[in-house]
Amino acid sequence: MSALGVVILAPVLAAMLVLLLRQWAGVVAAGGALIALLASMWLLYGAVSGAPAALVLPGLPRMPLLLEAGSLTAILSLMVAVVAFFVLIFAVGYMAHDREKPRFFATMLMFVAAMQLLVLSADWITLLAAWELIGVSSYLLIGFWHGKPGVAGAATRAFIYTRSADLGLYIGAFLLIGLAGTSEISASLATTGTPAMVAGLLLLVAAMGKSAQVPLNDWLQRAMAGPTPVSALLHSATLVAAGAILLIRIAPMLPAQTLVVVGLVGGVTTVVTGLIALGEKDLKRLLAASTSSQYGLMLLAIGAGAWVVALLHLLAHAAIKSGLFLGAGVFQHARGSTLMDDIAGAGRAQPRVFAGFTLAALALAGLPPLAGFFSKDAIIAAALASPGAAWLLPLGLAGTVLTGAYMARALMQLWQPTSIAAPDDKNLRWMGWGLAGVVALAVGLGAAFPALEALLGEKMVVSTLAMMLGLGAAAIGLLLGWFVAPRVLLGPLYAWAQNGFAIAGGMDALVLRPAMAMARACNRVEAGIYAGVLGFGRAMMHLGRGTRLTDEAGIDGTIFGFVRATIRSGKRARLLQSAMIHRSLALTITATGILAIGLFAAPLFY
Amino acid sequence: MAIELIVTLIMAAGLFGTGVYGALSQTNLVMIMMGIELILAAGLLNLVAFWRYLHPEAIEAQMFVLIVMTVMAVEMAVGFGVAIARFRSRGSVEMEEARELKG
Amino acid sequence: MSVQLVFLLAFGLAAVWFGIVVFRTHSMVRSALALLFSQTAIGAMFLVMQTEFLGVLQIMMMATEMSIMAIFMVMFMMDPGGLGEMDMKHQRKLSLGAGILAFAGATALALLADWGPIATEIPDAGEQVRLLGFELLGRSMLIFESAGLTILTAMIAATAMAVQAANRPEPAAPDRGPDRGKQHGH
Repeated sequence: MSALGVVILAPVLAAMLVLLLRQWAGVVAAGGALIALLASMWLLYGAVSGAPAALVLPGLPRMPLLLEAGSLTAILSLMVAVVAFFVLIFAVGYMAHDREKPRFFATMLMFVAAMQLLVLSADWITLLAAWELIGVSSYLLIGFWHGKPGVAGAATRAFIYTRSADLGLYIGAFLLIGLAGTSEISASLATTGTPAMVAGLLLLVAAMGKSAQVPLNDWLQRAMAGPTPVSALLHSATLVAAGAILLIRIAPMLPAQTLVVVGLVGGVTTVVTGLIALGEKDLKRLLAASTSSQYGLMLLAIGAGAWVVALLHLLAHAAIKSGLFLGAGVFQHARGSTLMDDIAGAGRAQPRVFAGFTLAALALAGLPPLAGFFSKDAIIAAALASPGAAWLLPLGLAGTVLTGAYMARALMQLWQPTSIAAPDDKNLRWMGWGLAGVVALAVGLGAAFPALEALLGEKMVVSTLAMMLGLGAAAIGLLLGWFVAPRVLLGPLYAWAQNGFAIAGGMDALVLRPAMAMARACNRVEAGIYAGVLGFGRAMMHLGRGTRLTDEAGIDGTIFGFVRATIRSGKRARLLQSAMIHRSLALTITATGILAIGLFAAPLFY
Repeated sequence: MAIELIVTLIMAAGLFGTGVYGALSQTNLVMIMMGIELILAAGLLNLVAFWRYLHPEAIEAQMFVLIVMTVMAVEMAVGFGVAIARFRSRGSVEMEEARELKG
Repeated sequence: MSVQLVFLLAFGLAAVWFGIVVFRTHSMVRSALALLFSQTAIGAMFLVMQTEFLGVLQIMMMATEMSIMAIFMVMFMMDPGGLGEMDMKHQRKLSLGAGILAFAGATALALLADWGPIATEIPDAGEQVRLLGFELLGRSMLIFESAGLTILTAMIAATAMAVQAANRPEPAAPDRGPDRGKQHGH
């Protein structure tokens, strides 16, 4: 039994124990996470000393299931284990009064185990299985308080958004398996040329769904309906990180054309969701939008060709964002709400928690010597050095300014004078320890970066200009956020940003490239799976009509035509959903028939 | 000449057509399930015929038959679960009356 | 005309005929019995095609399945003997068209395709079972295991679904249905 097995099985066994005992759920869960943490430290030690642990399990014929802790995967596994451990410690206090503790901790542990499996998998089939598992467990966790209004809907929305984007992962992974003839990830990365580009784009779609990139960013903010420890885990080290991790792992394969798209998606996301975060009225939703924005920066770094930098920012962000969420959880605990107006002054009442929150916030904004400073400057340096610097650099800098601005705004709101005293609660101690752990990481992680680079055998680009630019942008952002109200700062964009750049409004104009994916997602969300099949066909016809409009009316015409077509096809698709089982069956059989005819006719066109 | 194979395939085609007709035309949930059973049975027949007459050396074909049988059993179990739940709450398994899914 | 062909034709026609009878009788119990006969005829075709294990398995499984189905029919329809007249069809033309089209398409494929040479030598029954055992517990272990797991999941899910309905408070009126749907939907 190698340490690999322990990393994955310890949380699973702890989850079972939690369900069996139904007592001391939190302590058992934290114990399981601690064992996994020690085991993953051992994995990293193995990777450092040049003997990476690997496990081959019999799977499909000629495609065994592989687990491997190379230097990259061991670092990621350690990150997941560390964040999970502190979040679970925090949750012991946070969930103290919840009646369904066993269910909560068991699902959390399952989530962590699935994420470890995803991180450590060395073949596509295990990765797909783990990808599904984290999808399911995040659905269960977001919908944990399913009795409350709106929560079930939020969970469903998160599930459907990530689910429809997952199709990209399936097609991309099978494409790579088919081309390489093996399901090993490392072997399939040797793919080059057009197949690599197509597969890269397909995997990008999957990563966009999971990492909540524009235009699939909406679900993440709604997912705030779940308990706060869930958000902390989900945003920093598990579900949302899965998308970025996928791209980091396949980054060596991506050709230049795909990198351009990755960088563009990331750059647009970091700015758009940064604006959303600035206009947000709820602290947790602000943090959620900021997560999208930070993952946008990581994608931007990958697009600039520096995946190591993306990895470093992922690590720094994991520590910082879990710290921010845990802090927000304490304030939520004190005030019973996360609305900006309700938590005004909550920080002044609890200065020690506020200090931790502030450190994390400043680290995210990128002030030295906190962890975010090093990774963010490395991103800007990478953008500066890349061939696409002309558009990557402004987007990256804008993202940095926005980061500073929204973090300063949150800090200012928390530091308002207040008369409400902090509640005296012994559960606060657990929460405090969890928070202290991740904040210490957020502060000190930067010191470990050179060692990590040496381990991965890559060197970050260092540039004084980038450092100056980054620091300047962060300072400007912080000052703007502290002194200028977001209503003034955003100007005409304010109302727009507040409803998340609603899709039918103007989002389409900003993101023409992934618009197809969005049309598909809209159809699915609106009309359900059955109608979606036919509705997509209709959308395609409308798209054809929209394209004809282009010739007549130019680019403007396309954009508006597309918006109209999307709305129209959504309306039509809704008609299809008559809720009559036999109609649905008839539709299914028709679609199957069309598919069959297509398959048989395919050789004729070969 | 592959006359045995063709005869078997035509019989399977007959079962398939009957199953499609049944699944589409019946109003009762259980009857719809019967139609689906017929469709799956036609698939089984094809699998066995292909194994017997084309590739008797590929024993995986028989494994596929077992998997399809699993699917049939699963379909029955879940279908009856739905039918019982529906019958208990609505007193009927007529699908003409099932419109709660209307979005 | 070989003996095998004669038996295939006979059992095949029986299977199709009973398949049609399923949707033509006016009693659901009779439908279930007709389906049982149809599936048994298919099992007999398996036997004719020298796959003894699968043939016996098919007949045994379907016999149990169909008797369960017949019991459910009696339970839902309160019509043990099929004495009352009933008509439970809709979208007739569409269904008939789809059925005929499906039959015609599949038949055309069967007739038009070039099937190549027919195998004459096949392993005997004992050898087949031995090979199948090695296949299931060797190379295809994962698939076999997941099939078993799927059945287990389905059993638990079906039971949970059927039991939960009993514990839930009965809906006051049928028109409460849509409300409940909305609560859980988006």
